[in-house]
This record gives sequence, C-alpha cells and structure tokens, in this order.
Amino acid sequence: MLAIDVKDLRKQFKVQKNREGLSGALKDLFKRENNEVTAVKDISFQIPQGEICGYIGENGAGKSTTIKMLTGILVPTSGQLKVNGYVPYKDREKFVGGIGVVFGQRSQLWWDIGVIESFQLLRKVYRVSEQDFRKRLDNLVERLDLGDLLNRPVRKLSLGQRMRCELVASLLHNPSILFLDEPTIGLDIVVKTEIREFLKELNREEGTTILLTTHDLQDIEALCSRVIMLDDGRIIYDGGLEELKNRWSKGREIQFQFGTPTSLAKLQLLTAGLDVTWTMSEQGASMWLPHTINVSDALGVVVGGADIRDIKILETNTDDIVREIYRSGSASVSAAATLLEAESPKQEAEAEKETSLR
Amino acid sequence: MLYAVLFWEYIKNYAKTRLTYRADFWVEVLSDLMFQGMNLVFILVVFQHTPSLGGWSESEVIFVYGFFMIPYGIFSTFFGMWNFSERYIVKGEMDRILTRPAHNLFQVLLENVDPPSLIGSVVGAVIMAVCWNDLGLAFHWYYVLIMLLFVLGAVLVYGGIYTALSAISFFSDAPTGIVPLIYNVQNYGRYPVNIYNKTIRFVLTWLLPFAFVGVIPASYFLDKKADDLSQLAWFTPVMGVIVFGLGLALWNHGVKRYRGAGS
Repeated sequence: MLAIDVKDLRKQFKVQKNREGLSGALKDLFKRENNEVTAVKDISFQIPQGEICGYIGENGAGKSTTIKMLTGILVPTSGQLKVNGYVPYKDREKFVGGIGVVFGQRSQLWWDIGVIESFQLLRKVYRVSEQDFRKRLDNLVERLDLGDLLNRPVRKLSLGQRMRCELVASLLHNPSILFLDEPTIGLDIVVKTEIREFLKELNREEGTTILLTTHDLQDIEALCSRVIMLDDGRIIYDGGLEELKNRWSKGREIQFQFGTPTSLAKLQLLTAGLDVTWTMSEQGASMWLPHTINVSDALGVVVGGADIRDIKILETNTDDIVREIYRSGSASVSAAATLLEAESPKQEAEAEKETSLR
Repeated sequence: MLYAVLFWEYIKNYAKTRLTYRADFWVEVLSDLMFQGMNLVFILVVFQHTPSLGGWSESEVIFVYGFFMIPYGIFSTFFGMWNFSERYIVKGEMDRILTRPAHNLFQVLLENVDPPSLIGSVVGAVIMAVCWNDLGLAFHWYYVLIMLLFVLGAVLVYGGIYTALSAISFFSDAPTGIVPLIYNVQNYGRYPVNIYNKTIRFVLTWLLPFAFVGVIPASYFLDKKADDLSQLAWFTPVMGVIVFGLGLALWNHGVKRYRGAGS
C-alpha cells in the first residue's frame, strides 16, 4: 500500500502587491493588487510504506508548502493527494491521529510546563491509553536517552534536548507516517548523529514511513534511500541517492605532494596518454581525472615517474553535486552535460577544496 | 467526553503554569475588577444627575450591569482570543493546532483559558443579588434554571461574535482594528437599549446582538416596562445558538484559507 500518493498537486498563494511610498500605501487602501504566486506546481510522486524519503531543495522551492499540504495544514489549490488512506484536509481530525509531525523551527511542546506534562497532555489529545503510553514512553525515553529531562520545563532545555523531546512527542501515538521538516536544523554533530540513528532504527523496527526535508545532505546520505529534489515548485529529480551521485559526479581529484620539486611539464609528459588535467599549487600539484579513467592507471604512471611524499584522493561529494544542481536548476542529464563542458576543472577543484576544509 | 477530559487537562496545566507566577495572577484579578468598578462608578455618577434613565431606575440599571458581568466573566475565561491573529496566524502556531486530532477552535480556546476572569462573574452575581433585594423582586426557584439558560445564551452570543472576528484574520493579511471597535460597541449593550435611537437599537438587538448579553435577558426578572424588552428574553438562547453557529461556520471556512507563516 502507498503511504503517500500525490498527483498534480498545486498550491497558489495570493500575495498582495504593496506599492511604494505613502501614495502607494494610500492607493493600496482602495484598490489592492494581488499577485498569484504558485509555490507548488503540479507535482506528482508516490511513497510506499516503510520508505525513508528525503525532500530537498533550495529555500523557497516549495518543500514546506508541500509538507503542509501533506499534513493537512494547507488546502491545495488543485490536484489529488492521499496520505495514509485519507485526504488530509478533508478528514483532518481523523487523519492526523495516524501521523506524526516535527517542525524543526517550531515547538510542539508547551513552553512553561514540564516535558512529561506536555506528553501527558498529548496522550489525552491523541487518546492513547495509559498502558500503551507508558510502554511507548519508556521505550522512547530509553532510546533517546531522555531520562533526567522529563521533569524540566521545556524553556530550560537546550535545542538538542528539545529536539529529542519533540521527536518523542510526535511518536507517542505510534504514527505510521512521520513528517520531519528540518529536524536537525541548528543541532550539533553529536545530536544530529543520534537523531539519525534513532530514525533509522524506528524505520527498521516499526516500519514507519518517514518523509523529511533538510538542508543538511548528510541527513539524506545517512537516512534516505530515495531523494525528491524540488526547484521552483517542480520536481527536478526523484530517485536513489547513489544514482544521483553517479549521474552528476564528474570525476575525481588526486592531490600530490612531491619530495623534490616537479615541474608541470614533467607531470604532463608522464600522463601524456591519459585525458587528465594538471594544476599546480604551492604544496604540489593536483590531477583531475574523469570517471572514464581508472584511478590506479593514473596513479601508476605518476608514482613511477616522480618522488611522491603524499597522495590524497577526493571524490566529488554530495554537497557539491547538489549545489551544482541548484545552480543550474535542473537534474536532467543534458543539463549535466552542458555544465560539464562549461565548467573548467580548476573551478571544480576549488569548490571541492572549500568543502573539504569545512 | 474527549473534550471534557481535555478541558480538565488544560485547566490543570493552566493552574500549574500560573501558580508559579502568583503576583501576576492577583494583578490580573485586581485590574479586571478595577475596570468593572470604573464602569459601575460611571453608572452611579449618571444617576446623581437623573433619577431614571429611559424609565429605568438606578438599581435596575445596576442589576442589568450585574447580570452582564456574569456572561462576560465566563466569556472572558473561555474566549480569550485577543492575540489570536498575532500568535496563531502571523507566527504560524496554527500549524501545530492543525496537526492535532481535536477541533482547532476548541484547542485555541483551551490554550488561552483565563480562569481569573470568573471572579468578575462572581462579583456580578453578588451585585445582582443585592439589587434583587433592594428592588424587592419576586424570586422563584426555577429562576435559577432560566438564569443559567440566559447566561449560556449570552456567552454564546459573545463567543460567536468574537469567533467570527478572530476568523477574519484568516482572510486578511494584516491584523485589523475591528476588534477594538466591536469591543467599544459591546459596552452599549449593558445599558437599557431604549435610551438609544432606533437605528442603534436595531443594530444592538439584531445585527451585533449585544443587547442579548445584558439588558434583554436581565429585564425578564425586572418589573415590566412600557416597551417590554422582556418579551425578547426567551430569544437569548436562540440568538446564542444562531450567532455562535454563524461564528463557527465562518471560522471553519477561514481555516481552509489558512496559509501558514514563513519557512
């Protein structure tokens, strides 16, 4: 069965045009001009039960709007959607009993009361029996290591602690689908890893379908078997993460440090038969080679002819790939090809260095 | 049943958070009472200059005021949506409300309960009892039931109007100044409506039926006047249901237009 089935989903907002200056404001008072902004443009996708799907895109691409439609907060302008067997905005109160929602930017918990009291209140709202609640809570508390936080008021928790509590809050009623909107935003690496591990386990053990939006691609790499990429309200990629990487990664870079100074001409001579590009730097040189060439072949010829002190091999990482896609606004193969021609390998290498430094 | 349980839970949580800020609690009660006291003083001042207002004596007007305080106190307790637009629409907290399986208006109301306002109702009841005695009015046991019915109707009238006003925030981007306007209009309903001209009277009775939260139901217990308002008294619960129904309908329609905030 499909957990989420979306067809030609569209959401338009009317945005008021505010004219400039005082005279503009006066004119607005009598005659408003509205702009129609289409945040989500006829997207379709299906997510089977038990899948973890990452939903990525630039700011303003329409991710949150989609999530809000899927969770029944917003009513779509047109199109069909079915989540968990319900049309979210129609049977909202019945529907939300079967989903969990975490908005990273917004708290689900009551600010002034203890965490456990928030949970108790949610238990009542979701009509969970005391017995089930206890069992579930104990389990979640143990897995997320919340033990001593439960009696503290939410406003006294750190962001990481709060986020873990938010997760528990969204899972108390045992939902079959979990929506996460930027769940790791602003968290440190330890908490991030913890949350990722937890989500993976949840998905594995209970078969919870998870849809998450994020700007942290490591979330995606750690969790998602599938990625949906959105740009300007349209889906530009829907498929596996590996596939995306293979299709987009243009090659590898090998950095050399030499024991004795080696000239560019000598290096180019060594790799004369291979289609590689050399760039010199203060520490040494770096070689950029496309996928068509074997790393070991290229290494072999250089090692044989130069005095090498250190070698570093850099794969293009997902950040770079996704940045490229955002920049070009398309994930199709043709766009990748044109980009490949347009961009000089040197720029590429620099971009990589930046990210490897981070 | 679920709603009764939730109601109790929210009140408990309210108590827990509020009791930690005790001073705040008393300041609120005190300022509430002072506000009502000022209005009462105003009535007393008016009657220093005239023995009757449109055929209503001082005690009768104060009686009406006392009655008004009861539904008003209950209304303020359960419909404290003054910052609805700011908090739920502009800041987008409505998102959270909409992902929970209980009616959204009910959740919003419960998150904003304000039990200290009930003290105003108690004071109102006391004022009414004193006037009842002063005026030497008849008292039957079933008056208590009628009273409850009228109070319920009056609360619904109030609730309906303010629910509708809050629902406007779903349609309009900027918070409007309409709430303070209506808040001023409502004050007119505490005084005998026959002292106003016909248009205002019509508005207060049928369009913004604030007369149904004060003078009309209260007149049922008073001596009959020349233009008998008490005939309309039985319409109070009917008006309550109609106005609240309309307010709720507008709200439910408005929720579909909710567009969330940012992110």
